[in-house]
Amino acid sequence: MIFKDLVIIGGGPAGLSAAKIAAEAGVSCLIIERDPFLGGQLIKQTHMFFGSEKQYAKTRGLDIAKILIDDCLKHQDLIEIMTSTTVVGLYKDKVITTLHDDTYNKIKAKSIIVSTGASERFFAFENNDLPGVYGAGAVQTLMNVYGVKPADKVIMVGSGNIGLIVSYQLHQAGVKVLKVIEAASNIGGYKVHASKIRRIGIPIETRKTIKRAIGKDKVEQVEIVSLDDDWNIVDNSSEIIDVDAVCISVGLIPQRNLLSMIDIKTKFIKELGGIVPIINEDHQTSDKDVYVCGDVSGVEEASSAIVEGYYTGLIAARNLGKEHQDFKTLNIDYKNQLLNLRSGPFGKKTLKGLEIMKEDANVK
Amino acid sequence: MIKEDVIICRCEDITLKDITDLLDEGYQTFEEIKRILRIGMGACQGSTCISLLQREISNYHNIPIEKVETPKVRPLMTGVKLKSISEAYKNES
Amino acid sequence: MLNKTGVPSLSLIKTKFPEQNKLFKAKAITECYEEIPCNPCSTSCPFEAITIGEDINKLPVVDFDKCTGCGICVYSCPGLAIFTVALKKEKAIFKIPYELLPYPKVDETWKAVNRDGLVIGEAIIKKVILKPKQDRTLLVEVEVDKNLLYDFITIKE
Ligand code: SF4
Ligand code: SF4
Repeated sequence: MIFKDLVIIGGGPAGLSAAKIAAEAGVSCLIIERDPFLGGQLIKQTHMFFGSEKQYAKTRGLDIAKILIDDCLKHQDLIEIMTSTTVVGLYKDKVITTLHDDTYNKIKAKSIIVSTGASERFFAFENNDLPGVYGAGAVQTLMNVYGVKPADKVIMVGSGNIGLIVSYQLHQAGVKVLKVIEAASNIGGYKVHASKIRRIGIPIETRKTIKRAIGKDKVEQVEIVSLDDDWNIVDNSSEIIDVDAVCISVGLIPQRNLLSMIDIKTKFIKELGGIVPIINEDHQTSDKDVYVCGDVSGVEEASSAIVEGYYTGLIAARNLGKEHQDFKTLNIDYKNQLLNLRSGPFGKKTLKGLEIMKEDANVK
Repeated sequence: MIKEDVIICRCEDITLKDITDLLDEGYQTFEEIKRILRIGMGACQGSTCISLLQREISNYHNIPIEKVETPKVRPLMTGVKLKSISEAYKNES
Repeated sequence: MLNKTGVPSLSLIKTKFPEQNKLFKAKAITECYEEIPCNPCSTSCPFEAITIGEDINKLPVVDFDKCTGCGICVYSCPGLAIFTVALKKEKAIFKIPYELLPYPKVDETWKAVNRDGLVIGEAIIKKVILKPKQDRTLLVEVEVDKNLLYDFITIKE
């Protein structure tokens, strides 16, 4: 059994940021990451990020990953990193079991930060298991992490930021994106992204959805249909298009499986992406030694995940008896940054979700 | 929609038809359906199917989606060889 | 309709342009119509010509008297939503961000493309700039017909 003060599960933007601040405060921590590399989804984001300087705006996602990783490597004395290591079990006495290759290990922590992120939402249509039906994130991994061209002709289902960005990156990689379809009446993501892909010749069509994928051994065509304002299929609106891949980008779901193992109180809050842990202002769950930050506590942009990570690292360190020397300033700064990131029209949803969560926390 | 061709749980190969057949038979909860079909018990431990099945149950029984209970997730998250566990135990003692 | 297709209307586009008589020198046009948490355009401008303010969700406002048309904001905007434009006789000279392969070369004639992705004329490549601080976003100076002032947005080989 390994003993650790703070174990951070998930080495993406939230987890790395939490580790950095906790180490600055003097806490020895361990980051456990399932993938062979740290950085989470950032490593495949080739586009420049939004936000302000504090969240590394105008830096490309993969370079933000490098910055966050370097920040952790500066604290090598305090931050231990395990990559290619999957947490297979979490137990109420804060024992974490891990698997690395075939080696099974037990780690006991005083506090745990769960920053496991989110997984891609899947969606039900005919033949949705045909090879060639991909999640947009998977396509991004193939292209930008492994350098594999996923297909030649693609249709993108969903016009949130991920769908728009991945369409742009597919085009950059020389893949023809025939169109982006969106079931809602308006484009879901930032309009600057939408305009960017529209001008390179990718149409965006709202009120349309995919009815089925067609093909023998793999996707050869798709049938798309129009929807009316009550989400019913419009008669005779069917259109068959030749494609060799369907990219699904209909949102993300918080990855709360580990929290469920230790009976952390959760609630379905659609504004936050689905079932999320109920947390207080300090990002503590119903077990006060278990914290969450990043998409697992509500799906947002990576900039928010970074700030949430810093904040959670700061609080977790203090509660372990190691107060960061700039605790007061940072505490206010991070809260303000989060408020600022969420105060526009896109942040409204998150703020509403957090309100709903607060009501629940109060009822208890 | 050809329900046999709509996959809800990729790991355990469960189709929409498998689900609606059980709902038609009168099954109500996620837990019941999971115990019969193993939905959510495969490699991804429900990451993909939980929200889809929640929606089907919600639509079928006309209950708000947030009221559809989802099953508890238990260790282990992925397959672990018994040998690995026994070796860890040997090293400890 | 911007919300449905990603293409802004002509009247919306015009709100971002100064009077044409100000365009004898290059000016930055920020095609950013929606409040999103973002402000690198304003923090990167060395002449403090773009203001967003404390609340980074606010829309950028360009002070055309301060803007020198240097183009730094063009490659600093993560939304690729800024270009500069100047009018010279019968021509409009644009500086646009570009992130696709192949790269254009000086003196080549490429296609001028509008916000719908349609070809609307010719674009002569005048300069292609790629310095390390641009972080892999090309700055391309192109010359198009003056009539395309409100239509031109990008180039295609
Ligand atoms: S073109 Fe130069 S001076 Fe004008 S707003 Fe952009 S950065 Fe500032
Ligand atoms: S940097 Fe670009 S996207 Fe961001 S606010 Fe400025 S103009 Fe808009």
